[in-house]
Amino acid sequence: MTRWNDGTDRVEAVSPDITDETNALPAEYFTDPNAYEMEKEKIFSRYWVYAGHANCIPETGDFFTRTVGDKQIIVLRDNENDVRAFYNVCAHRGSKIVEDTPMTEPGSMSRIQCPYHLWTYDLDGDLSTTPKSFEEASLNPDLADEEVAKLDDDGNSLLEVSTDRIGPLVFVNFDTDPMPFEEQAGKMATELESLPLGDYQHAARFVSEVECNWKTFGGNYSECDHCQANHQDWIEGIQLDESELEVNDYHWVLHYTHEEDVDDELRIHDEHEAKFYYLWPNFTVNMYGTADGYGTYIIDPIDESRFQLIADYFFETSEMTREELEFVRTSRQLQEEDFELVERQYEGLKSGALAQAQLGPNEHTLHKFHRLAQEAYNA
Amino acid sequence: MTDRERASFTAICPDCNERKGTETPNEILGFYRRHRNLTGHDIEWEFVDHESIPTSAANEGLKAIVLELDETFDNGVPLALVTAAMGEQGYSIGETMAELRELRMTGHVWEPKDDHVSAF
Ligand code: FES
Ligand SMILES: [Fe+2]
Repeated sequence: MTRWNDGTDRVEAVSPDITDETNALPAEYFTDPNAYEMEKEKIFSRYWVYAGHANCIPETGDFFTRTVGDKQIIVLRDNENDVRAFYNVCAHRGSKIVEDTPMTEPGSMSRIQCPYHLWTYDLDGDLSTTPKSFEEASLNPDLADEEVAKLDDDGNSLLEVSTDRIGPLVFVNFDTDPMPFEEQAGKMATELESLPLGDYQHAARFVSEVECNWKTFGGNYSECDHCQANHQDWIEGIQLDESELEVNDYHWVLHYTHEEDVDDELRIHDEHEAKFYYLWPNFTVNMYGTADGYGTYIIDPIDESRFQLIADYFFETSEMTREELEFVRTSRQLQEEDFELVERQYEGLKSGALAQAQLGPNEHTLHKFHRLAQEAYNA
Repeated sequence: MTDRERASFTAICPDCNERKGTETPNEILGFYRRHRNLTGHDIEWEFVDHESIPTSAANEGLKAIVLELDETFDNGVPLALVTAAMGEQGYSIGETMAELRELRMTGHVWEPKDDHVSAF
């Protein structure tokens, strides 16, 4: 039974059993500004979140920045060819070090230098040099030069953030003692690692701003009951009745079979099957059945009522063929169709009439999503 | 009709066709910044509620535009309106922001409050 805000019903926690009437996350978590403030801490600072694609920073010193909530990191390729992440914050007095640098236009540096007082760090984050004024006390009459302690490189290194990978996909975790990445990515990591994802290059990025809570779009992505009515062009070649929704600990997968296929030579995954992975909290990997390539979505909140969809596409080369371009266009169309749906849903939610929604028996992927949110809030 | 279509202020990314409609001009700046941070793309004005921008400023320099607009605002001109007026002359938001930075760094323009500018 749906619970309305009609002065009688109250909400309850998302029940573990999907057949219970309280099987959805109470609506206030989608519309209350405080909910997003809490999520920044309890979700985006504790779980593994996608940072970007390692192929975009192939050379030593290549880097991009990524902002998650209030935190910004520099993701870079170090001298050992590893990808590492550091807070974009200087160890001296906290200045932001590098400018915002998108993954699509990565920067390159041989050392990390803060523009404020020129403290300089190696690519492994250790302090390498400071200007003379930090070694001598010439301006301080109370101190002799010999009394100035040499800054220890290690103790004054940049603050590193844990990283892990699924092939070329780089994930970060801001927790000082993060859960093992395998625990969160589980079977999804194993499945994707068996594919040559690293052989593909970044070809296109589209960023859209949508007027709804990020979880509204996450939920829409996680089910296809709305597809028949809303994605006429897309469902044409898809056998929706043969699709399957699979639920795992922190991710769920939507399998679709379709009639047509790409050339056998040019396919990175199973025949006639497309797989759409949603990894809690806000990342998806889209293994298209009808194109030789894959895509990723980041569903990045701006605040409680807006998010950015960052859609990246990876193909054999970064120059798209005409077919690939056409494919991306269809994908963009799907996004726009979904944006209309979720903005419309959000207008309804914002009215405050609904207290707690009611999920159907086949919305078990959504139920998982709502359960994970609840679990994170209570942790 | 969606929200985007009836908005008073709209801007567009010519590279990826992403369009943003807002009710207050400076929200377009937020869009510009977020979009640029993720893609490196510049943004152009598409439509401005014309009452917000006097057209007499056309074809004057940036500083003249700030001075003129400044007369109708108490505490600085919303920065986005300056970019919109320059947009009328074919400048992208990024181009205006770069020129404005130049003016600020040389002391011609200042910010009486965040994202609002005055000239002297
Ligand atoms: S704050 Fe970075 S060198 Fe001073
Ligand atoms: Fe959809």
